[in-house]
Amino acid sequence: MDLQPIHSPPTTFIKKYVFSTDHKVIARQFLWAGLLFLAIGGGLGMLIRWAWGFPGEAVPVIGDLILPHSNGVIGPSTYNGIFTSHGLIMIFFAITPMMIGSFGNLCIPLAIGARDMAFPTLNMLSFWTFVIALLCVLASFFVPMGTAAAGWTTYPPLSTQIGTPGLGQTFMVLAIFFTGSATIMGGVNYVTTVMRLRAPGMTYMRMPLTIWGQWLTAILNVLFVPVLAAAAIMLIMDRHFGTEFFIAGANGPGDPILFQHLFWIFGHPEVYILILPAWGFAGDLLSYFSRKPAYWYKGQVWAMCAVTVLSAIVYGHHMFLTGMNPLLGQSFMLLTLIISVPAELLFLNWLHTMWKGSIRLTTPMIFTLGMVFVFGLGGLTGIFLGTISTDIYLHDTMFVVGHFHYTMAAAAFLATMGAIYFWFPKFYGCQMNEAIGKIHAWLSIIFITLLFGGQMVVGFSGQNRRLWNPFEYTFLEHLTELNLLTTYAAFALGISQLLFVWNFMEGVFSKRTCGNNPWEVGTLEWELSSPPPVHNFTTIPTVLRGPHEYANPEVRRTLGRDWISQTEELPSQPAGTGGADSGAAPAGGDSADGAADGDAAASDEPAAEVAGG
Amino acid sequence: MASVMVSPEGGGRLVRIDPGVREANTAWVGMVIFLGSWTVMFAALFFSYGLLRVDSPVWPPDGYARLPLMLPAANTVVLLLSSIALQGGLRAVRANKPLFPWLMTALSLGAVFLVLQGIVWHSLWTEGFVTASGRYGSVFYLLTSFHALHVLVGLGFLLWLVPRSLQSTYTPRDHSPVRLTAMFWHFVDIVWIVMFVTVYVL
Repeated sequence: MDLQPIHSPPTTFIKKYVFSTDHKVIARQFLWAGLLFLAIGGGLGMLIRWAWGFPGEAVPVIGDLILPHSNGVIGPSTYNGIFTSHGLIMIFFAITPMMIGSFGNLCIPLAIGARDMAFPTLNMLSFWTFVIALLCVLASFFVPMGTAAAGWTTYPPLSTQIGTPGLGQTFMVLAIFFTGSATIMGGVNYVTTVMRLRAPGMTYMRMPLTIWGQWLTAILNVLFVPVLAAAAIMLIMDRHFGTEFFIAGANGPGDPILFQHLFWIFGHPEVYILILPAWGFAGDLLSYFSRKPAYWYKGQVWAMCAVTVLSAIVYGHHMFLTGMNPLLGQSFMLLTLIISVPAELLFLNWLHTMWKGSIRLTTPMIFTLGMVFVFGLGGLTGIFLGTISTDIYLHDTMFVVGHFHYTMAAAAFLATMGAIYFWFPKFYGCQMNEAIGKIHAWLSIIFITLLFGGQMVVGFSGQNRRLWNPFEYTFLEHLTELNLLTTYAAFALGISQLLFVWNFMEGVFSKRTCGNNPWEVGTLEWELSSPPPVHNFTTIPTVLRGPHEYANPEVRRTLGRDWISQTEELPSQPAGTGGADSGAAPAGGDSADGAADGDAAASDEPAAEVAGG
Repeated sequence: MASVMVSPEGGGRLVRIDPGVREANTAWVGMVIFLGSWTVMFAALFFSYGLLRVDSPVWPPDGYARLPLMLPAANTVVLLLSSIALQGGLRAVRANKPLFPWLMTALSLGAVFLVLQGIVWHSLWTEGFVTASGRYGSVFYLLTSFHALHVLVGLGFLLWLVPRSLQSTYTPRDHSPVRLTAMFWHFVDIVWIVMFVTVYVL
């Protein structure tokens, strides 16, 4: 008897596509919402670049439409709103819903062999709470004095009524609160689902690295997003209910540094929240497309766990310049630099995974390689910011901007794009066009590297971040041309995304189909049809081995291919009860049979040992 | 009914799990994770309180009287009794006895708590101690109002249980909502005790 219920599939349109509890539908909803806000956030980013490339000139084409009062010219206060909302939208309303909301929802139940999330209704509530947040974001643009303008970090006193009296700032803080609530709901769901609904035989050490990344991310979300929520509540109380937590000086007895503590207690784990799923994708995809087991799977898992733990205790490196006790500063510096050890370990494992593999340069693989490259750049430059002596000079320059864009923006963006191309069959039942995909991938990688590299170089030359017109300062005048080049890179990046838009839409509406397993991958989701049926698994599969069983000579001898699915029994095994003829058949029947057979129990099988050990 | 299945750990161990029990346990795990998350939320608020307090040369800050102690102390007892009553209700369900009287006791004590809290707020506010009363006022009203909001949510859950307790929906084997509500209610109670000690007593 199966322990997870099969409910009858929804019949009405509302239940099926709007208030759906099906994790795959919710994954699509998050994907669309995320892509929409990625476009908005990207557009805002291009406006910032326009202001730096062509200061004081009217924005072409859409200028009159979006800024009618200034004839398309980006003025200083508009500029403040643009860079603030760009950051907040990209982090909370583009990357988070796509990478965590969408792929967490799609992959976790499918890849661990569950019929749905542990709490499907909570999952639905999570998405619709997120929609409330999106509405708050959109509303913030249309109130007097415009959207939030205190920077994405929302530091008081700038973010209190003194610095930003407009309602837009309140709406944005409310949006952060709502999206935080949605994230906590999702996080509780993901953590519970992985703990409770893994199929028989799916041990923690047999989960795909994608699931590890999502699970650790969910743990960080559950633990640290509440801190942001607390900060948001206090800020809203300061803005509208008369409290004085953050209002200091002549205006009040509070302490603005308190907000920085709260913000970064959340904010540093958030950095890893946005990169751990990408690391998971990379660990898996590099293995899938190198046709080799992920090098030192357990090492990668433990490295990700180590980063998860360390990420919680390094936040002080964002506050070196707040007059912190030097001893405390040095402790934070040491802990920060220690993170580079597990990160380096992951990096070496990725390179080792590819070493002597038979690499297939598919679109997802190119994106993943790009992610590895830009993450390397971002990670290495982080060392200079984690070190107090260099951070004092680099703090608040464009170097910081370039650094965190390489890690949080470029790496997260490229990894997410790779994941969209890779899992597209499970979303919409076909593969996207590979030729266009490859062009999209290469253009994205090249321009994103130039874009953020350009920011780093000007930052190293002393350009401060967040300046409306940096070239008003004589010591920055000579950086005009470099900024212009970076602006061209940004626009080229933006325009090359049109390839993706076309490719994605074509895939969504096309009648093409692909088999269950177009990439020849062994994890559970690829045994299901594309897209999977409502309740995923008719019988819960029994998992026999780890997720990266490639290039195993035994498998090649008996099955004549270089991969074997996680549930497939090798034909030569005496316990085999059939089902080994194709990757599509879950072996072992339902769980009760699996137990009755006794020796179907996983760990005795030599083939299982290859990946597990 | 019970079923036999391979344990999730593999290895062919035989485990007997009732599907209903399994689902209830999953809900329990989810609740524990959620409460863990919420603990961090309150921890962040207490952290803010601590930081503001440590930063101040004297506490309460100059010009402010100490908060009253009697009524909040009585309120602590009220909430504690409410928690105990709900635990009694949980035990009653498990012993196949009626939940309703316990539930109503917990519910009314919870309501009494909110009323007394309202009286504390009202008397302080009319004496001129408001949210804008410096760090002391900010911290006090933030912590107590945020906690009261949780009491309100908890009362909502208890109210939701009332009609179900009358229809004897819950059996010794299947009473997950009662268990989860009790967990939440105890959590709110524990938070209050910490709050009472830090905000009022210390």
